[in-house]
Amino acid sequence: MIQKLIDKSMSKSPWIFHINAGSCNGCDIELVSVLTPRYDAERLGFRLTGTPRQADIVVVSGPITLQTRDRLVRTLAQVPEPFCVVSLGSCPRSGNVFKGSYAIDGPLEKYVHVDVSVGGCTPKPEAVVAALAKAAEILAEKRKEMRK
Amino acid sequence: MFPYLKRALSNLFRPAVTEKFPAGEPPKAAEGYRGRISYDPTLCVNCGMCMRVCAPQCMTRTIKPLEGGAQEITLTFDQSSCTFCRLCADFCARKAITLTDDYMIVGTQPEDFIVSGTFIKKAPPPKLTPEQLAELKAKAEAAKAAKAAAEAAKAAEEPADPACSADNG
Amino acid sequence: MTQFLMTAFHVLVFPGALFCVVIGILLAGIDRKLVARMQNRVGPPLLQPLYDVLKCWGKETIVPRHARRGLFLYAPLVGFAALITTALFIPVLSYTAYSTGGDLVVILYLLTLASVTMMVGAAASGSPFAGVGLSREMVAMISYELPFVLVLLAVGKVAGEGSALGCTFSLQTIVNWQAANGSILFHWSMIPAAIAMLMVIPCEIGMHPFDVAEAETEICEGMLAEYSGAPLAVFKLSHCVKMYVMTALFCAMFLGGLSTGIVVLDVLLVIVLCTVVTFVSMTVPHAVCARLKVEQVFKFYWTVVAGLAAISAILVWFGL
Repeated sequence: MIQKLIDKSMSKSPWIFHINAGSCNGCDIELVSVLTPRYDAERLGFRLTGTPRQADIVVVSGPITLQTRDRLVRTLAQVPEPFCVVSLGSCPRSGNVFKGSYAIDGPLEKYVHVDVSVGGCTPKPEAVVAALAKAAEILAEKRKEMRK
Repeated sequence: MFPYLKRALSNLFRPAVTEKFPAGEPPKAAEGYRGRISYDPTLCVNCGMCMRVCAPQCMTRTIKPLEGGAQEITLTFDQSSCTFCRLCADFCARKAITLTDDYMIVGTQPEDFIVSGTFIKKAPPPKLTPEQLAELKAKAEAAKAAKAAAEAAKAAEEPADPACSADNG
Repeated sequence: MTQFLMTAFHVLVFPGALFCVVIGILLAGIDRKLVARMQNRVGPPLLQPLYDVLKCWGKETIVPRHARRGLFLYAPLVGFAALITTALFIPVLSYTAYSTGGDLVVILYLLTLASVTMMVGAAASGSPFAGVGLSREMVAMISYELPFVLVLLAVGKVAGEGSALGCTFSLQTIVNWQAANGSILFHWSMIPAAIAMLMVIPCEIGMHPFDVAEAETEICEGMLAEYSGAPLAVFKLSHCVKMYVMTALFCAMFLGGLSTGIVVLDVLLVIVLCTVVTFVSMTVPHAVCARLKVEQVFKFYWTVVAGLAAISAILVWFGL
C-alpha cells in the first residue's frame, strides 16, 4: 500500500531543476514565470530546487554549447532515478538559429533521452505548464516500471 | 514591510488570480501571436523563397519525380527548429504559409512537431518539333494577315479623314 | 509490562512519533497553503509535505564518492530521533509524558542536537555547497540561541517564583503555574519575551526570511545539497516535526493557562494554538519578507530579539 502511495505522490510532487545550456535567457524567464501567481505551478506540487540530487524533472534550455556540454552531462549524471528530462524551447531539440555554429554541440537527444519537449521561441507559460504536467505523469509511470 | 503585510493579509480574503489552465481549455493567445505554422500546399508554387529567408533552416523540401515529368513536392516545417519570426509568411507571394495562434507545441515524439504538405507540380507542355513550330508560325501569320485585311476593308468603307491624311503627308 | 507498553505508546504514538508527524505535516501544509493565498496564488494541496516526503522516500539514494557513508546516512535519523524525544518532554497543556527538573535544559540541548546532526550530515557529504551552508547554519544557531536562552530564563523565573531555587526549568511546573495564575503571555512584563520567542521560532526551524543555511537559489540548498532519496525524506520530515515541536513549546511556555484539563480537548486546543502560532511567526514573515543576509540575521537576533528577551528577563528578575 505504501508503494502505491509513493507511486501516487511521485506525480504530485515533482521538483524541477533547471539547466541553462547556453540559452538566451528567454526560456529561463518563461520557466520562472510558471511559478508566479498567475500560473502557479506550485498548486500541482512543482517546486524549483537548487540541486540536481533532489530533482525529478530536469529542464534544459539553450543549444548545448561546447562550454556547457560537459557540465550538462555531469549534472544529468547526478540526478537520482527516476527522473524526466524536458527540453524547453526550440534550441535544445535542434539548435534553432545557432544550428551549424562551431560553438554548439547539440541536439540534447545526443546525450540523454528527452521525455517531453516544448516547442516555441519562447514557449508560452501555459505550454510549459502543460509539458511539466505531462512529464509528471511520465515520472509516475517510470517509477512503476522501476519497481517491476 | 508594512504595506506588504497589509496587502498579504487582504489577499487572504480575495480570490486567487491564478489561471485554471491545466484543468480545462488553454486560454486564447494574444492577437497577432505567432504560433504553430499552417501550410496550404494547394496555394504553393514551390518558389523556395521561404527556405531562403528561414534563419534556423527549419524547412526541408523533398522532390519526388513522377511519371510524365510531374513532380511530387513535399515541404516539411520542423516546429522544434522554428523561431516563429514569420519571415516565411511575409515572403510567401501566394500566402500559402500562415502562422496560427496555436502555442501548445508540446510533444514526446519528433512527429508532434512536424507540419508538412504535399502537392503535385504538373509537367510543363511537351516540346515542339521544328515542323510543328513552322506550322504554328504559318498559322499565326495567316491569322495576322486575315486580321490586317479585315481592318483595311473597314478603313475603305469609311471616308478618310483629311486632317489625318494631311498630317501623314 | 504496563510500564513498557506505556513508554512504547508515548514514544511511538502520543505525544511521540505518530502525533508529531501528523501534526507537523498538517502545520507545514497549512503554512504553505496560507503563504500561497497571501501571495494571491492557489497554493499546493494541504497534504503536499506528505507527498514530498513520500516521493523523496521513493527515489534512489545516492551516496557521493567523497562522503562518509555511515555519518551521511544516519545523521538524519539521529536528528529525527532527537526531535521526537524533544516532543516527549513538551506537555500537551495538561498531559505530560515525561517531566524532570530540567526540561528546558534538555529541550535546549536536544534542539541543538537536531541542528548539529544536520550539520554533521552536511559535513559528511563532502560538498563545498554543504560546507557553506553548514557555516551559515552555525552563524544562525549562534544568533538565535542567545535570545532563546534569555526567553527560557525569563519564563523559568516567572513560574518558579515561590520555589526554593527561585527559578524553575520544569515545563510541567511552568504549565501548572499558568493553570493557577493565568497564561504567561498575558503578564505584561513577559510580552517582549513572547515576541522574541515568536521571532526565534522561524530561525530555529529554518523558515523563509531566516533560511540562510538552505538558500536554494544561492548555494544549491546548502546543507542538503548532496542529499537525495530516503535521508532527504527524513530531513524533510524532521523539518515538519520541528514546526510542531517549536510551536508546541511556545504554547506550553506562554499559553499554558488556556488548558481545559480534559486531555482530548487540550490536544485539539494545542493543534489550533500551534496553527495560530505558525501563522503569526512563520507564515506572515515568509509571505512578506525577502531572505536576509547572514550578517543581517546575526545583527537582527543579537540586537532586536535579544534586546526584547533581555527586557523581559530584567523586568522579571526585578520581580515585576
